[in-house]
Amino acid sequence: MPSPSRRSPTASRRALAPWGFLAPAITLFVLFMALPIGYAAYLSLRKVQVSGLGLGSGSRTEVWAGLSNYSRALSDPEFVASVGRVGLYGLVLVPTMIILALLFALLLDSKHTRAKSFSRVSIFLPYAVPAVISSLLWGFLYLPAVSPFYYVFDRLGWDAPTLLSSDLVMFAIANIALWGGVGFNMIVIYTALKAIPTDIYEAARIDGATERMIALRIKVPIVAPSLIMTFVFSMIATLQVFAEPVTLRPLTNTISTSWSPLMKVYRDAFTRDDIYSAAATSIIIAAATFVLSFGFLRLVQNRAFGQEN
Amino acid sequence: MTTTTLTGTTSPTTSAPTSSSRTGRNRISWPATIILIVGALYCLLPVAWVLMASSKSAAELFSTFTFAPSTYLVDNVADLSAYRDGIFWRWMLNTALYAGVGALLSAIVSAMAGYGLAKYHFTGKKLVFNVLLAGVLVPAVVLAIPQYLLFAQVGLTNTYWSVLLPSIISPYGIYLARIYAAASVPDDVIEAARTDGAKELRIFRSIAMPMMLPGLVTVFLFQFVGIWNNYMLPYIMLGNDRLFPLTVGLSGLLNQGASQPAMYTSVITGALLSIIPLIALFLTLQRYWQVDLAAGAVKA
Amino acid sequence: MRLTAGTRIAATAAAAALTFTLAACSGDDSSAGSDGPVELTFWTWAPEMEAVVDIWNAENPDIQVVVNKQDGGDAAVTKLLTAIKAGSGAPDIMQAEYQAIPTMVSAEALADISDTVGDDVAGQFPEGVWNSVTLGSDAVYAVPQDSGPMQFYYRADIFAELGLQVPTTWEEYADVAAAVQAADPTKHLGTFSATDAGWFTGLAQQAGASWWSIEGDTWKVSVDDEATLKVAEYWGGLVESGVIDNKPMYTPEWNAALNDGSQIGWLSAVWAPGVLAGNAPDTAGLWQMAPMPQWDATEPSTGNWGGSSTAVTTQSEHEAEAVEFITWLNSSSEGVEALATISAVYPASTPGQAEALTAPPEFFSNQADFYDIAAETAATAGSFTYGPNVNVAYSAYNDAFGKAAEAKSQADFVAAVATMQEVTFEDLENAGFSVTE
Repeated sequence: MPSPSRRSPTASRRALAPWGFLAPAITLFVLFMALPIGYAAYLSLRKVQVSGLGLGSGSRTEVWAGLSNYSRALSDPEFVASVGRVGLYGLVLVPTMIILALLFALLLDSKHTRAKSFSRVSIFLPYAVPAVISSLLWGFLYLPAVSPFYYVFDRLGWDAPTLLSSDLVMFAIANIALWGGVGFNMIVIYTALKAIPTDIYEAARIDGATERMIALRIKVPIVAPSLIMTFVFSMIATLQVFAEPVTLRPLTNTISTSWSPLMKVYRDAFTRDDIYSAAATSIIIAAATFVLSFGFLRLVQNRAFGQEN
Repeated sequence: MTTTTLTGTTSPTTSAPTSSSRTGRNRISWPATIILIVGALYCLLPVAWVLMASSKSAAELFSTFTFAPSTYLVDNVADLSAYRDGIFWRWMLNTALYAGVGALLSAIVSAMAGYGLAKYHFTGKKLVFNVLLAGVLVPAVVLAIPQYLLFAQVGLTNTYWSVLLPSIISPYGIYLARIYAAASVPDDVIEAARTDGAKELRIFRSIAMPMMLPGLVTVFLFQFVGIWNNYMLPYIMLGNDRLFPLTVGLSGLLNQGASQPAMYTSVITGALLSIIPLIALFLTLQRYWQVDLAAGAVKA
Repeated sequence: MRLTAGTRIAATAAAAALTFTLAACSGDDSSAGSDGPVELTFWTWAPEMEAVVDIWNAENPDIQVVVNKQDGGDAAVTKLLTAIKAGSGAPDIMQAEYQAIPTMVSAEALADISDTVGDDVAGQFPEGVWNSVTLGSDAVYAVPQDSGPMQFYYRADIFAELGLQVPTTWEEYADVAAAVQAADPTKHLGTFSATDAGWFTGLAQQAGASWWSIEGDTWKVSVDDEATLKVAEYWGGLVESGVIDNKPMYTPEWNAALNDGSQIGWLSAVWAPGVLAGNAPDTAGLWQMAPMPQWDATEPSTGNWGGSSTAVTTQSEHEAEAVEFITWLNSSSEGVEALATISAVYPASTPGQAEALTAPPEFFSNQADFYDIAAETAATAGSFTYGPNVNVAYSAYNDAFGKAAEAKSQADFVAAVATMQEVTFEDLENAGFSVTE
């Protein structure tokens, strides 16, 4: 603790020290995140005003748009629909992801399972595969004519559901995200499990607790903070779902160009060349994500960094 | 659902959990092991598919059973290597450079910031941390165009810098580094060093950094994967195809416009080759992988 | 669309900080010295363009062209427009698809080269094609590179096996489609692809549509004209009855279907041999090409799918040299021949086509008159004007027709045209264009 009254030279140097450590991060953050974000915010209030045919030189001018980009985005049925779709997608994906990650982490932590390092590496492996590539791979596996699953089903004479049909496409996308994300979350939880001193279990075992009871009543509550954090980060990633549906889109009729909110941003910015609407929409998305994760972020402050004080 | 001792392989009497098994503590639970292995195989399946698919000729890719391997892997790699005088390997090197240097710098910057946040008390700490962390709320798709417009003002677009510099800042990295610093560097060690007259930077460099190292390896890997997989930023920043990373280069092979066939065979072979270095890196550094998102709670 | 003073100051401050840290490391700008050779950068996605450019570079030591191969996807235009907006970073020369030219011109990305381009160039191209690089004005924004007149491609072996006649009208096409399904339910004569807006545009063009037009100082949007509605209704009927597939083209599944003969026909364009050779190499020699089925057999016509031009950007400091190169590339016999034989595109230049394309493509070696039919059909292409928001119309196509094709409903096909019209019109209106319906 720095002494509040008369400061010695070392103390004042120490007061400056944290800023010294933070300086590179803050500088980079300001240059490469804050400035672009600020610029995006500025663009969200602008628009291009075209006159006449828009072909001659000077027929386009950038003007203030007020909040019209925002009101257009919020009243756009496509945008509203994409928010609903991704909300549902998140409801399916995030709990499944966390439960599976927890399950695998507990199994890895159990003394009664085998093939652990093989499983740990295998389940984590998909994390290394870029979403664009993994979507391409799964795309092959989803299309009946080229998929081994359908081949097998066909041979067995079973009827396989069309995964890219409008009813199931959400699950097809969620599966790709799940495949890529479970391993990472599993490692997070597993790390937390390994930090638990084993004598806690010994005591429980002596009291006659089964492994399952130990897992559910001791391990899970202890790693709850990690579960909450994986939940928050998975939720943020889910709201930003983009690469998977974009890559799958050319393969099917069922994914529109505004399937997810971020796809709409991408479409506006990169195929419609309307950076202004895209900026407004993305600021709405960022704000919504912020509101959603705010409660959890408070939790982070209280839980994760409790021991610093 | 979780760890179970359901199968007493030698006790046919019941399948009820046997709590008394002090001796059977390391017995193998087959259902649990099977769940784990099924999960592992499910995760390996598409990877196995890439391996099979990249061994097929263009004709076989769409005409033979998907999981039937073939013998064209070497030919496919040769074709890909020959494509435009081996530009694929140039992309690979570029990616290694962007990801390697970017992740290294990112780990250092994150370590400093995380240490500063974890080990000092100062006004504005909470604000600084929250603002830095808020960076995760803004997706890369949104930032790419404004970043381009700003870089263009200083004439840095279409250079290595334009991809490298924005990759250094990582809100997740700072977040993780803060946790590692808090968990692995005891306050009394720092105090002791101070009493010995060590400067703050020196304490960080020679005492805190080594203690945080396993965690920093995780930050490095985390950011390495992030940069390796980055698409939007290099896509918009780079015009010169000799500066492209793999993601942008391969997507060009896939999107050749309607009048050209997508080079699926090359893309799949390229995808396989591009994940090999990542897998190798993971396997060598895997013992460091410990992503602690909420360390304090355990110790409290 | 420049940055305002405020952001400029902020950016400059950022720049100062950057240059301080970066010290001596600077970007490799392509600005050549005044007495060295001029270096021109060229963004393109045409295959093997480097080899074509090498010929030029060997002959023109003073004007060296550097190819930067780009992604041919939707975002290529935005990447250029972002560089234009930023004031730096655009190449000297850019491959520009015809439908993107009005968008690029509207963003002031393409230089008007009417003063530097030779007077003899225009005469080499069909009027419709030349019109799309001038937008009907006195300006010239690009030189046409390649074009994509549409034809009908079919598996001659399977047609013979099933005893089918090559359809010459759309009515016959529908009959053949039904006959194929009746003979073998796993086979389709074709598919309606909701992901290929350019393909549908070509079909509408054949029927006589022109979705945009200029009336005085006003854009007229007529996506929902009679011709387009007719085409949509026709395809909606085929899809609803199931005789035509509803899955997109260019998917792995479609590639597999080309290989195993479950897609036995493809309404495509003159560049089809390259795509077929890449996706289904084992079917070489089994395909034949015929003119498009017609709405009115007495007045044959076709549409265009694909095709691009080569343009000089407004950021180029060497317009004269760039024009010299693109003129060579697209209208000299040497350049056109290299384009046709090395890059394997169908050159837009009429004399060039006749000169360079004497033998049929290898994949169609069984059809000696391939390029004769191509040239005949190319001459019947209807005229079509693209507007300044083609991408908006195209993404509306993807969404609206994607839904309709999935629902397999003829009524939805017709409604999809109305949606496209509405979205396209409103986008122009919102941006402030002077526009009517």
